[in-house]
Amino acid sequence: MTSATQPVVKLGLQLLRGPAGAVLVMTAIFVVATLAFFAINGREAVSLFQEMVMGAFGDSYSFSETLVKTAPILLTALAVALPARLGLISVGGEGQLYLGALFGTGAVLAAVDQPGWILMPLMLAGSMAGGALWGVIPGLLKTRLGVNETISTLLLNYVGILLVSFVVHGPWKNPNSLGWPATIEFPAGAILPQFFDTRVHMGLVFGIVAAIVLHILVTRSRWGLGLQVSRSNPRVGATAGISYERNVLIVMAVGGLLAGLAGIAEASVIQNRLQDGLASGYGMTGFLVAWLAGQHFLRIIPLSVLMGGLLASADSLQLYAQLPKASADILQALLFIIVLAVASLWARRSNI
Amino acid sequence: MEYFTTELLTLLFAALRSATPVLAVVLGEAMTQRSGVINLGVEGQMLLGAMTGFAVASVTGDPWLGVIAACCAGIALSMVHAILVLGCGANQIASGVAVLILGGGLSAYYGTPFVGDKIDALGNLNHTFVSDIPLLGEFLGPITPTVLITLLAIPAISIFLFRTRTGLRWRSTGESQDITRNLGHNPTYYQLAAIAFGGLMSGFAGAALAVDYTANWVEGMTAGRGLVAVGLVIVARWNPWYALPAALLFGASEALNLKLQSWGVDISPYLLATLPYMIPLSVLMLSYRGLRASGGGMPAGLRVVFQSAR
Amino acid sequence: MKKVIRTLLASSILAISVQAAAETKVGFIYVGPKSDYGYNYAQDQGRLYMEEHMDDVETVYFENIPENADVQRVMERMVRSGVEVVFPTSYGYLDHALKVAEKYPDVHFAHSGGLKTSDNLMTYFAEIDQAMYLAGVAAGLTTETNQLGFIAAHPIPQVLRNINAFTRGAQSVNPEVTTSVIWTSSWSDPTKEAEAAEALISGGADVLTGHVDSPINYVQVAERRGVYSVGYHADASQFAPKGWLVGAIWNWGPMMVDIVNSAKDGSWKSEHLRGDLLTEAAMLSDFGAAVSEDDKQTVLDRQKAIMDEEFQVWAGPVIGQDGTVIVEEGDTMTLEETEKMDFLVQGVQGRLK
Repeated sequence: MTSATQPVVKLGLQLLRGPAGAVLVMTAIFVVATLAFFAINGREAVSLFQEMVMGAFGDSYSFSETLVKTAPILLTALAVALPARLGLISVGGEGQLYLGALFGTGAVLAAVDQPGWILMPLMLAGSMAGGALWGVIPGLLKTRLGVNETISTLLLNYVGILLVSFVVHGPWKNPNSLGWPATIEFPAGAILPQFFDTRVHMGLVFGIVAAIVLHILVTRSRWGLGLQVSRSNPRVGATAGISYERNVLIVMAVGGLLAGLAGIAEASVIQNRLQDGLASGYGMTGFLVAWLAGQHFLRIIPLSVLMGGLLASADSLQLYAQLPKASADILQALLFIIVLAVASLWARRSNI
Repeated sequence: MEYFTTELLTLLFAALRSATPVLAVVLGEAMTQRSGVINLGVEGQMLLGAMTGFAVASVTGDPWLGVIAACCAGIALSMVHAILVLGCGANQIASGVAVLILGGGLSAYYGTPFVGDKIDALGNLNHTFVSDIPLLGEFLGPITPTVLITLLAIPAISIFLFRTRTGLRWRSTGESQDITRNLGHNPTYYQLAAIAFGGLMSGFAGAALAVDYTANWVEGMTAGRGLVAVGLVIVARWNPWYALPAALLFGASEALNLKLQSWGVDISPYLLATLPYMIPLSVLMLSYRGLRASGGGMPAGLRVVFQSAR
Repeated sequence: MKKVIRTLLASSILAISVQAAAETKVGFIYVGPKSDYGYNYAQDQGRLYMEEHMDDVETVYFENIPENADVQRVMERMVRSGVEVVFPTSYGYLDHALKVAEKYPDVHFAHSGGLKTSDNLMTYFAEIDQAMYLAGVAAGLTTETNQLGFIAAHPIPQVLRNINAFTRGAQSVNPEVTTSVIWTSSWSDPTKEAEAAEALISGGADVLTGHVDSPINYVQVAERRGVYSVGYHADASQFAPKGWLVGAIWNWGPMMVDIVNSAKDGSWKSEHLRGDLLTEAAMLSDFGAAVSEDDKQTVLDRQKAIMDEEFQVWAGPVIGQDGTVIVEEGDTMTLEETEKMDFLVQGVQGRLK
């Protein structure tokens, strides 16, 4: 080995011992596990894996569909990560998403004849209010009554989904929908802008901007510092004038608001109306992504894209290999397990 | 009056039927959490238990083998959680969600060939002495073995937890691992046993659904009941005796949703369907105030988990 | 008068065996698991029938695709991979299918149950309410308590049609009959379905039927509790050897073969193709032992009357739940009216939404 290459190798080794190495190991294990899963089930492992990658990122259409999935995952992940900064475990992204769609749609129905420049802000404000409400309620239950936020957000998820079912089957059902449980179609003024003639929409931009802003706020601002103090010791925080209770309400409200935006984006752009089955488990996926990212706002962005890709590319498993939908769930779980295991072991090793 | 009594008893026993799988999970999860470990994966363990139990009952023709297989499947899947949490030191909440998704995926994937099979269910107390009891016989008769086993598990767990040395160490592990360690025992061993017991009970709960109650396997058939059970552990304050009213509360509100419809109550069924979630939440709101200082009986070791969200 | 479009299956099967064209790729999309022993299972049986009876066809399928953003992507993926005929089999796929159909005018779409068409999108369905009406006749003849129980998922037209047809069938032979409806708010929740069945039976119903994904759950509870049951979607008689009366079941295969053939030979029409008892796209299952020979004959006579167009299920008077006349005597509901049904008939106990 020449002396010139030595520092490079040394640096490389150093990097490998750090996070880069962990990511490399995770990826390697996941690829091997996926290939093994395909092979066990009697499929052409390597070519199927290629199809899967192509299905997520292979061409502009596939990538656009990955980004369509990314938007709600990103926003619901933020809705989990922000409360986590205060030590709160919220699993309420799904319910907040539905409430956002519910209130946003309510605003659209109330102002349906208004021009877009009135309708659109009303719709967005409504969705944020709805999502925030479904965040504030568990926040209040926590601060006022001491109810554990994990269980209250969990229970409210089911309630939120049923409330949407109630309005689309009942009071808000479009009389001309031939009996189908859905509201009227949103007018053009209530359809969020889309990009490049794809279904990729403003929701993605909201998510990215929110992630960046939150990152700056939490790491750089006095308020963010307050969150850290509040979290490690509410009493110390209180003597410094930081109200733990108020912060609980703020992080839950802001988190809910973001998930609410995801909901109205799905209703407005993807469905053009409010109906049952608006989101298929984005809340849970968002929760996963937030934890995979270690509740780090900026890391959430690429991980949401990856997870969106994994979910969107699950199509190819069905299309090319006739593997049932459940195989995508198994792969998602495998990915999660591998990342958790490797990250935890890596962290433990570096602590020694 | 007789009509009223009959309807009330019908509702009570309907509640008991609905509550049984949830009760089994609550009992198992309470034991897991007593050792300082939370496992959100019970929903997945329930599903894998239900599928395995149904498949084994279908292939062997013996529902009891199905129940045993379901318990084993629950334990096996819970070991993923054990490896991640105890072996790798991964975050418990995150690991639980991974197990949840894995269980859902595996059960849906491998359960497909068994859909539409007919299995012999476990049978019930009809044609035993019980069905001859006046008034109650009509209601006790249809009670099935999993209901009885789950009910019997309550005193058994309670005695183990509060009256035995092992139970004491189990609880002390949940409060502080150091105490257990200072007493010369390995806390990890207790936590492993606790996770496995939670796996056993959730697998059993799956069997109660698929092999006993509905005698049917459908993908995703637990419909969130396992997750709700994790929440109900808090309502039950980690106490096996309180687990019964907590689970019954859920079962009753589920039964009430359907019963109110058959009584012709003029409320949207979608709003009635929120009852199983709103009622436990209300109970938490009502009961929590006084217990706030004590944390509602949450094991100290568990509180650390909730505060370590990062 | 309602115009029922009939399908001719024998000739089309012959036609394929002569042809030796290139493989046609046909894609199916199901809203639930294809093995749900219910609606999706029935559609998938149609796909398997097609594979068996057409040797120049290759099929692919997607299951568990929700009626949201995902289905549009799935259809696009199918088309891009070379699928020429797409069967989006769930009602809520319709608007998504219309969008994709507009984008790919050379691809044919056959949507299940919708009421909109475009140049390359037709719809197919079958009037299974005819079979439900006949099953109602059997139930009305059998019941001793004059109370029937109906376990229903969601109040959408297809479900309301079945509740009403079942009730009208029963009332036609037994005017005292009422039907209690319990909504489960879910297409598939076995526990809830079983508990709803229990609630209906303890409320006095002695014949149960339903419209949820799979009949297995309520049929088994009915058998256990010693009451009768009527199946829906798929034959569940093996689950109730004692109490099974009859079931209303689908038979999509021949119809799907015709649709694919019409796409191949250019005879494709963007129409609402509806099968019925006569074309056997929707039919009665075998009767159970619980139905007496006399009762069976009554049902079969009524079936013949429907097939001969001497009798219409939706001929007036049709009276609503609250007593208002919805269809006057002498009038008959049109196909479109029945397919967007939004009422319950007199004698049904249960909330509409």
